[in-house]
Amino acid sequence: MTAQKTQGNALDVVGDVPIRLDEVIDRDALSEMCRSMQALFGIGVRVYASDGALLANVASELDICGLVNESSQGRGACGATVSAAKSVDPGDDGDVVHPCFTGLAYRIVSLDYEGRRIGRIVLGPYAPAGLREPPESLARTVPKLDVLNSTARLAAVARVKPEALGRIARHLKTTIELIIFSSHKAYVTSKLHLYSVRESYRALEEKTQRLEQAHTKLKELDRLKSNFLGTVSHELRTPLTSIIGYSEMLAEGIAGPLSKEQSEFVTTIHGKGEQLLALIMGLLDLSKLDSGTMSLRQAPMQISPTLKEVISTVAPVALKKQVELVLDDDGAACELAADAERLRQVFVNLVDNAVKFTPKGGKVTVRARVADGGPSDDDDGGSVLLAPVRRVVQVSVTDTGIGIPSGERAKVFDAFYQVDSSSTREYGGTGLGLSIVKRIVEAHGGTVVISANEPSGTANEPSGTAHEPSGTVFTVTLPSAQARRTLPSRLPPADRT
Amino acid sequence: MQLNFAAREVAIKLVYYGPALSGKTTNLKALHQLVQEKSRGRLMTLETKDDRTLFFDMLPLVFKADSDHGSMNLRVKVFTVPGQVVHSSTRRLVLQGADGIVFVADSQLAETENNAESFLDLRANLKELGRSLSQVPLVIQFNKRDLPNIRTDAEIDELARRGKEPVSKACAVSGVGVLESFFGLLDRTWKHLDVEHDLRDKLGLKPEAFLAMAAASLGHAGQAAALSTAFIGGSPAGSTPTGGSP
Repeated sequence: MTAQKTQGNALDVVGDVPIRLDEVIDRDALSEMCRSMQALFGIGVRVYASDGALLANVASELDICGLVNESSQGRGACGATVSAAKSVDPGDDGDVVHPCFTGLAYRIVSLDYEGRRIGRIVLGPYAPAGLREPPESLARTVPKLDVLNSTARLAAVARVKPEALGRIARHLKTTIELIIFSSHKAYVTSKLHLYSVRESYRALEEKTQRLEQAHTKLKELDRLKSNFLGTVSHELRTPLTSIIGYSEMLAEGIAGPLSKEQSEFVTTIHGKGEQLLALIMGLLDLSKLDSGTMSLRQAPMQISPTLKEVISTVAPVALKKQVELVLDDDGAACELAADAERLRQVFVNLVDNAVKFTPKGGKVTVRARVADGGPSDDDDGGSVLLAPVRRVVQVSVTDTGIGIPSGERAKVFDAFYQVDSSSTREYGGTGLGLSIVKRIVEAHGGTVVISANEPSGTANEPSGTAHEPSGTVFTVTLPSAQARRTLPSRLPPADRT
Repeated sequence: MQLNFAAREVAIKLVYYGPALSGKTTNLKALHQLVQEKSRGRLMTLETKDDRTLFFDMLPLVFKADSDHGSMNLRVKVFTVPGQVVHSSTRRLVLQGADGIVFVADSQLAETENNAESFLDLRANLKELGRSLSQVPLVIQFNKRDLPNIRTDAEIDELARRGKEPVSKACAVSGVGVLESFFGLLDRTWKHLDVEHDLRDKLGLKPEAFLAMAAASLGHAGQAAALSTAFIGGSPAGSTPTGGSP
């Protein structure tokens, strides 16, 4: 749709297109008004459009007309007079008197709009003020007419002075022209409203089209970015694998015995290589999660086996650090629709983190429970019905480590964030782990929150109370498979395949 | 212009353009007051909200002119556009088919930028309609001469002498300068159409005779020349804008 096309529909209202009387005036309403004129002055009113169409006809037959119409000659002559009144030229003044053979007359007034003749009003028949007896034309036209009777009937017709009739005619003309003006104005207004709406619609459509094009382009760019990331990470990993592999072989003495110092150097190379690999993998995961291109292989699963696997993975590190590692899953059984491998990654990250920040002799507890979901953020009620299907699995990882100041807690999920930059050296790590955890959990429709490990029994007290936290609790909440299937929510739907 | 030989009718469309609140509607109302009753139709004002024109105003002027080929009907429809920036598409619609344009500028110094913006808008809208300023007769009216903090007469005169368009001054609220802008544009428009459509031959009506009859019919007999030449700068009346004829 072009601007020209939408204009086409409204052009006639800003041009010079003649209006049609029958289009701007309501016939019934016009007839009603003419009837009231007739009731007021006793004179018949007819309104014609310029093409001769009769729009209003309010005239009752006068007695004299009835008498004339009894004869066939009279009827013919009467018809001829009426049709002449319909077409006679009202002249430049737009006001003319058309006589009838009976001595009566019609007053014809033009209806004008913007200088155009668009119709006429025909008033009559009426008896001119000077009419005393039937004119010769009556006897000539209808020879068999009862003269006495016709004279009496003619005398009964009310006399109207030309000036008075002129005033009546002008009043009627003004009234009808005003109606035409108002109605034309309403017509123009409605046309323009329509035009405005169409024009806005057209503008919106154009904008939508531009946005769609931009969207397509961005999607393509996004795809290219993902491809680029995939390629780059692959290219980075290939030489890194060699570095790690060969340094490992060197360290193992495959290429001959190493001095203590050489061995130390090679081990450092190997360790840093592993660290770099983890960083590259983390970046790749993060970018995939950010762009939504990470595909989760969601399948029915239980949380307990995954957690057991996690504990056994991290156990050697904990043992080495002399940190107690406890799993308390209380047989938590609730079906999840999730990617087991990704969830394992989440909990390895959290537990590994907890162990890392817990000093020797400390304790890390992994606790799993199934709970009814509480009211959601946009709770519309009905929780008594909805809570049972809103079941969630809550897994908390609690440590007795250095803790995180409350002001810093929200930031730990940001990529590359470290609570204390100086602790980077002490504890190591890239700062990517928790941001990946958060994104994976959210991709499963869950949440992860962080709180202080309050001494038992005071966990519900508001934060900021006197005692310092002695550790950190990460709580991961995952919706059950049933919750994700049945509840309309902002959560991404579970992959049911 | 719409020319109907059979009905011996000529319809001309004039448009009052300009920034918001520069007095376009006031010009039209004053014009309505200043012309003879029998030659004017009702002033149609559409959809005003807080006295602001939402769509447009329209004043039809109708009169007869005697030509060498007999009497003919002339219809001049005068439109205003909505000045507010948001109504651009309505302005373009109203501008469609305009035979001449009065640009109503606000004399206040603070409005200088709005005047310029509106003028560029006019140029852009004409371009969008496939026309250019050089093809449409245009007069510029500096309105609101009665207000303080306005561009001075000397400044306007100086600028006008250097510019292409004829410039007049007005105070539309009191009707001053309204007829001058109207007749000045009517004169230039008819002369332009005369050259484009050879009206003097086709209608048997010379431009001078047309203007004199228009002035007489609208109630200002004998003042045609005085009213149509109260301008500074621009091409002298009688010459036509360049590049007009296709």
